[in-house]
Amino acid sequence: MKKFGVIFQFELMNYIKNKSYMVTTIIVAVLAGIIMFVPSFFDLGGLFAGSSSSDRSDSEQTADDTGSGEESDSIVLIYDKSGAVTDVSFIQSFYTDDKIEMADSEKELIEQVESDKAAAGFVINSLSDFDYYVFNQSMLDSKQTTFSQAMTVLNQMVYCQENGIDYAEISAAFSPHIECHENVLGKDMSSNYWYCYGLVIIIFMIIIMYGVMVATSVTQEKSNRTIEVLVTSADTNMLFFAKVLAGALAALFQTGIILGVILITYKINQSAWGGMLDMILDIPGNVLVTFAFFGLGGFLFYTFIYGAMGALVSKTEDINKSAGGIQMVIMIVYIITLVSLMNVDGIVVKIASFLPISSYSAMFARVAMGTVSIWEIIVSFVILAVSTVGVGIIGAKIYRMGTLRYGNPIKLTNAIKSLKHSK
Amino acid sequence: MKLEVRNITKSFGDKQVLHGISFEVLSGRALGLLGRNGAGKTTTIRILMDVFHANSGELYLDGEKFNQRKHLIGYLPEERGLYPKKKVIDQMVYLGRIRGISKSEAVANSKKWLKRLEISEYENAKLETLSKGNQQKVQLASTLVCNPEIVILDEPFSGLDPVNSRILQDVVKELISDNKLVIFSSHQMSYVEEFCEDIVIINKGDVVLAGDLEKIKRKFGENQLVISAVNYNLDELEQLLRNTLSDIIEITGKTRNELIVRNIGNVTRKELLTRIMSQNIEIEHFETYKPSLNDIFVSQVGEETEEKDAQKEGAKA
Repeated sequence: MKKFGVIFQFELMNYIKNKSYMVTTIIVAVLAGIIMFVPSFFDLGGLFAGSSSSDRSDSEQTADDTGSGEESDSIVLIYDKSGAVTDVSFIQSFYTDDKIEMADSEKELIEQVESDKAAAGFVINSLSDFDYYVFNQSMLDSKQTTFSQAMTVLNQMVYCQENGIDYAEISAAFSPHIECHENVLGKDMSSNYWYCYGLVIIIFMIIIMYGVMVATSVTQEKSNRTIEVLVTSADTNMLFFAKVLAGALAALFQTGIILGVILITYKINQSAWGGMLDMILDIPGNVLVTFAFFGLGGFLFYTFIYGAMGALVSKTEDINKSAGGIQMVIMIVYIITLVSLMNVDGIVVKIASFLPISSYSAMFARVAMGTVSIWEIIVSFVILAVSTVGVGIIGAKIYRMGTLRYGNPIKLTNAIKSLKHSK
Repeated sequence: MKLEVRNITKSFGDKQVLHGISFEVLSGRALGLLGRNGAGKTTTIRILMDVFHANSGELYLDGEKFNQRKHLIGYLPEERGLYPKKKVIDQMVYLGRIRGISKSEAVANSKKWLKRLEISEYENAKLETLSKGNQQKVQLASTLVCNPEIVILDEPFSGLDPVNSRILQDVVKELISDNKLVIFSSHQMSYVEEFCEDIVIINKGDVVLAGDLEKIKRKFGENQLVISAVNYNLDELEQLLRNTLSDIIEITGKTRNELIVRNIGNVTRKELLTRIMSQNIEIEHFETYKPSLNDIFVSQVGEETEEKDAQKEGAKA
């Protein structure tokens, strides 16, 4: 055990003292911290509330956040051929972030939109027919929908006026104000979705980035020929486990620093952000605990596999060849989990939450957003833990087998055959 | 300590590279493992170090099965390798500690060996900044940092200049005098000859010669003499002896300046000398033939190969 500690310490220091590791940690943490302070010094209203095309003009929330609706106003032109619009302020009441102006002609309206002097333009042909002009239409453009709503109301008002009906009375009768008191007895998917989504991405990135880092470290020992000295000096199981666990700890250390800086600086600047990131960062304790256990288990599971993949090649540039298959598995699991987040109680996520290749993300998604019993969590974790140790032992055997096999990458199938043969 | 290698065989795929290797080594004596490239020396050493598992055969240390993990072994592999970006002292201490010695002992031993090998000034340098020869010395120092009972050196002299070779020779002699069990392989016969009391010559996976070097030399030189003349060159002398004294001597070889002959007439040296001088040969050199290790090696490994090569050539023709 003492030797294990020596190897673990040496490997951990190798990572931590590595210049690129230190520089990356510091730069990313500082940048993240700076970004979190930005709203305290600069008004980000323009950044989020809308650019020239004001995609979110109907968002009262954004307007309130920025507190500077006037400054961010863009112009929307109207040319009324039908003469239906007698009062511009009526249309203006539907647009909180844009300024409505009348154009003198259709040609002028088009020229203004083309030259970006106006964000958009509407040519009203009749009460039930209009043309919409925009230069570059964004995916979230809602000006046209808003205008349709305005024209619908205008039609209703005109109809009421023509038929001697009190519009206000009709409107109150058909659109009463409904009070709703929400009581979520289980999980609130709408509020849990985003942090769950964020955590799936984080664990995916950690596995991919640091798995390759551990594989590289193993391969480097083969490429610089240190491995023969090492395997004749200490037990290979000990070497492999210490190496992989040190890599895992270095990864968690770096991720922890970066996330820690983000959380602390966000807390400091929470009011400046207007609680905008609360839905991502305000994660319940039980989800964090599940994420910690399953995330760590899944990370170690894959890191052991990456370590073994590193032992199959003798040049660092060949790592992608040997690790390509496992990266594909990780990608598939990632996509399935993200797609299934909308239906975490479905059969796909249920199966995935028990498989060691996918339980690291599927199970905590179920805990965060679905219905899962405690025995399911325990069984899933035991499967993951046993599989991780098993993969570690097989990985150590592959590491030992690949010790002096230089040259072309060894195929995993050949490595497993060699292991069977050596028995 | 006595390390015994008993009937080791090893195959890689269909190719058998060791066909039952056996030899033994004692503490305080160095064993030179000799053989041509691909003979099986490094494979034998890797089996000793448990890098490879033998297909059959056994290793014993003092009569018990040899467990490498229970003994401090200093191993210098043929494939040299340390961490290029780590400080010399850091990796030496690390390698000492993973072999089981304490940190303080590892630090002290590292400094001792760096000083002994005259590279103390590189203690805090990164390995990659050192010359190849100095890296080799660091590797040797790392091998010895755990104060091993058994020292196994695979081609330790390759890459060293004559001055560094001298230092290494002195170190190996010190290890032998410290009663360590030393095994090393080398192509450089002069080094083996200098401090190996025992040799094992491996050829194509078989031990073709093993034992005490002095006894082997005596056996190979038995009943043989070297002769040179002042008034004849070697070719003339060879021709003359073949024509006149073939009843008592057989010419067995030639060195750069002398003929090697075997006394086949069972005559005394005095009689032999008288017969030679009677042929009007002015003797320049006349003494017992002491074969060099190189001569023995070539006789065991080189000739056979040459013969086989010649046979192959003949078959092709």
